[in-house]
Amino acid sequence: MTTAPPTANSLKSGRWIASTCKMCLHSCGNLIHVTDTGVINKIEGNPSNPSNNGKLCPKGNAAIMRHYDPNRFKQPMRRTNPEKGVGIDPMWEPISWEEALEYTAAQIKKSLDEDPRKILPSLEDFQKFNIWAWPLSFGNFNFYQSGGTMCGGAYHPVNGFIHSAFACANDAKHCNYWINNGTGDGFSSHLHAAAQANWVAKARTERGMRVVAVEPRLSIAAAKAEEWVPIRPATDRHFAMGMSHVLVYEGLCDYRALKRDTNAPYLVGEDGYFIRDDNRQCYIWDKKNQCAKLWNDETIEEIALEGNYEFNGKPCRPAFQVYKDILADCSPEAMEKITTVPADTIRRIAREFARAAQIGATIKVEDGRTLPLRPAAYNYYRGAQGHKHGAQTNHSFKLVNMLIGNIDTPGGHMGVTLDPKEVDFNHCSMGESGMLKPTPHQLGPVPGFHYPPSTYHMMDYFPLGVHPPHFNLLMHENREKFGVEFTPDVIVNCHSNPVWAIHGSREKWFEFLRGMRFIVCVDIIPTEMTDFADVILPSHDVLESWNCTMIEPPHTEGQCFRQPATPPLHDTKSEEDIFYELSERLGILEAYNNVINLTLGFEGHPELMLELDKKYTDKEIARRKGLLWDGNDIEYYMEHGHSVTEKRLDKWYRPWEGCRLHFYIEDYLVERDKLKQQMEDANVPFRHEWEWDDYQPLPSSTLDPVHEEPPEYDLYAITFKDIQLNFGESLSNPWIKDIVYRDPVHTGLLLNPKTAAAQGLEKGSIVKVESPYGRLYGRISVSEGMHPETLGVSNALSRMKSKAAGVLPAGGHYNDMLPYDLKNTDAASAQPETVCKVKLTRLDDWPDFLKQGRTVYDLVEDYETAKGKGGHH
Amino acid sequence: MARMGMVFDLKTCIGCNACVVACKQENSLPDGVFFTKTLSEEYGVFPLANRVYIPTICNHCDDAPCEKVCPSGATYTRHDGIVMVDDAKCIGCSSCAVACPYDQRTTMDADNFLKGLFGTGEITPFEKEGYARYTPGTVTKCDFCSQRVDANLDPACVVTCPTNARIFGDLDDPHSAPSKMIRERNGRPPMPEKNTRPKVYYVN
Repeated sequence: MTTAPPTANSLKSGRWIASTCKMCLHSCGNLIHVTDTGVINKIEGNPSNPSNNGKLCPKGNAAIMRHYDPNRFKQPMRRTNPEKGVGIDPMWEPISWEEALEYTAAQIKKSLDEDPRKILPSLEDFQKFNIWAWPLSFGNFNFYQSGGTMCGGAYHPVNGFIHSAFACANDAKHCNYWINNGTGDGFSSHLHAAAQANWVAKARTERGMRVVAVEPRLSIAAAKAEEWVPIRPATDRHFAMGMSHVLVYEGLCDYRALKRDTNAPYLVGEDGYFIRDDNRQCYIWDKKNQCAKLWNDETIEEIALEGNYEFNGKPCRPAFQVYKDILADCSPEAMEKITTVPADTIRRIAREFARAAQIGATIKVEDGRTLPLRPAAYNYYRGAQGHKHGAQTNHSFKLVNMLIGNIDTPGGHMGVTLDPKEVDFNHCSMGESGMLKPTPHQLGPVPGFHYPPSTYHMMDYFPLGVHPPHFNLLMHENREKFGVEFTPDVIVNCHSNPVWAIHGSREKWFEFLRGMRFIVCVDIIPTEMTDFADVILPSHDVLESWNCTMIEPPHTEGQCFRQPATPPLHDTKSEEDIFYELSERLGILEAYNNVINLTLGFEGHPELMLELDKKYTDKEIARRKGLLWDGNDIEYYMEHGHSVTEKRLDKWYRPWEGCRLHFYIEDYLVERDKLKQQMEDANVPFRHEWEWDDYQPLPSSTLDPVHEEPPEYDLYAITFKDIQLNFGESLSNPWIKDIVYRDPVHTGLLLNPKTAAAQGLEKGSIVKVESPYGRLYGRISVSEGMHPETLGVSNALSRMKSKAAGVLPAGGHYNDMLPYDLKNTDAASAQPETVCKVKLTRLDDWPDFLKQGRTVYDLVEDYETAKGKGGHH
Repeated sequence: MARMGMVFDLKTCIGCNACVVACKQENSLPDGVFFTKTLSEEYGVFPLANRVYIPTICNHCDDAPCEKVCPSGATYTRHDGIVMVDDAKCIGCSSCAVACPYDQRTTMDADNFLKGLFGTGEITPFEKEGYARYTPGTVTKCDFCSQRVDANLDPACVVTCPTNARIFGDLDDPHSAPSKMIRERNGRPPMPEKNTRPKVYYVN
């Protein structure tokens, strides 16, 4: 009997290649099936990779559609239409690689020779820091990509202060009480979404872990949570401080941990600085002996956390007491007025949290250590941290955790390094006075102070923080005020779509781009940004190229290896080839190799260091990264696709053992005063406008300015993504489009039905949404899962008309409604506000610009009227 | 004899639709065609509102109405209980689609294959190779990835599910994972009033 050949794609005759996903910035292990005829027809998770355990998210499942996208750039091209704009055909003319590289290099060189600061890099390949760091080869610190403050402007520096790590996560392996505040971690987004969702689902089903989700919208996390706590937008810090009030005033803290593992007992003077001796050593109050002693004095008998004391004739308090005094005004009742969360709820959750923490309990972990067990943790991300007072907000969340002693502790709140190799570079080390050395610059070096500014986004004035790309526009509109002496005229763009993503009016950003002399885009498919490019240098996609990386894995370490499953479909190159070719033509090859050696950690390993006058392939760089991690050569990685193992416990639990954590972040004052002096000395004209109050060593209950917009803006607006839309480009992918626009949360502006009725609106009403800064148009959907003061705008409604088929506009971009000014940006972290106040106006019909061509709403109507396509109920 | 079935864990399903896309990959489904879907249903009133994500699929009913009405014998039940469609026999009358109380059958119109996944008329190599399995004008549906089952693999939607919300196995084996789950967590079939005896269950 002959068997018919299989029709299921994964069973067709072919081979499997172990590789790594790049449909978001994280790095899940996958297996790619290539048929005997050379067609890639199935991608599955790699079950041998303990990070994602064989699981993939919807985007990871959809990589084939990126690969075979007929709209992919197939060869280098040059624009022939001088008119630039989203949806305007650039009228591309194919050119040879040689011509494209020569022409591009000549255009960049002109600016490089005149003033390297005139080059505006927008390089967002988070899996290839050797590309990201390219501008450092010519001393350029400009930044025009949507990473940075659009993800975690204050999040990353505060993680650097508290954990000396890039990211953070709750310990799903031991946690039993999991608070998610404004984040999808474990359910829909952020660190290795499929992997972390797998861990969290196991914790919920196997251990009955309780989840409390605090946010204005019934997100996926909130829908799965045992309790959804709806909260007024931009008041997350106040919820955390209300909880902290209960923990502190009801004595529900881990006092042993606070005394031994943090700087909470360090004495603080009236100026906010620690009391120090001549050798800069800090003091602790010995309650028994009624005197101050140096922090490391072995004769201290009883460490004071509370009380008001006098030392050398000057009043002082332990840092813990300083926070306790701040928290006096943060009772649950007071915080209810700000957050709308009932005081009883705040109080109950704080008590449940403390009870679940099992303060005093210990656990013996597999490496033989007996450690505190604190199976309760508070996690948060973009929605909760993305506010004007971002630094204080992040800090307030960390302190909820630190009060119960759960930092980097089994069951608790964990620091997660950007790349696991960092743990072998001793990412935790001893700083001043027994304290963990803080590492707030997790994304590499910063330019330092200059006046006139050396960067177009004012990074010169953010000694602590992540690059604020939105300030490119502020600077551009206020050149005289900020004293800038150069004008960027060249954009070098790689896998980045800043004109889609950054705060501020799209129209203004379009003008900004039209003012550029030359824009080159290294990319795979058309985006809003490539509609402004002068030259396209097409790159291989993830199924055609080499790489070796691991991006912020919560529970594992190792390297994830990417290898081609197929030769390139088109006349494309790797990012490495492109940037090496440009570097050679620009005369910066040696500097570039130097930067790569430093960035990728080859420095100090003579056998791995790149020779300065050579160009390297993506394959060779991937090979060396594998060798750097574990000494395994490329054959090993090609066979296995990764070297991922469970995290070494000594690098995961309390990697800072022996150091004290920063309960009190004095560095905010140190850096504030240093910057003040620098601005004073340089006579910086806008120094009096700088938001100096943003620098606080402990969180305050100050309101974010978004709450003080004129009363006519009577609603808050928030934006959100879900797991189908995580991170970058998603909606040009037909499989993603086919699931996203069938999900009701992504097909309309979400409003609580009572609010809609009060506004004279109902499901289907067409509205204009205006903030004090911008506007959009849309169609109302009603949902009981919305806080009544809040309009919810999915990121799936943010695309602009583009050549890329499948990407449909929906009436504007949420980020148009966000401010890009100093007032709404955290001076201590560069984090801009991500919530806005809006007013709604009902319209009889769509504005004219939305009547030309299809929109998301047309597609949704098609879906709703289609019948008999399976699965309709 | 085995009786293959699936359990959906509504406690862990996050509505991510990874299963839906994995199915589209495995089965080369044209745009807008689904063998499985995840519904998102909101219920309750603020602040006690909630949303449940409900995966849906062909229920491979023991007493399958689609099989009963099929005039050509195209729909049949395999030895292991999987309800199949033989498209060589299917005459495209769509009686089965009408009879299925769960709306789990799709007529593969010829134009599904012409416009392509990108809607441009350009057919990608992935589609060109994958569409060969379908006969335009016939009716199709989920077959629990029967060929994977024959190869001792779980269906594509099951292996990819990040939260293990899809559990597949032999319902006749009391020790199988789905049997245990149905027993221990009070599994319920969809629309039991239809008396179709589904081999798909839901637990919460």
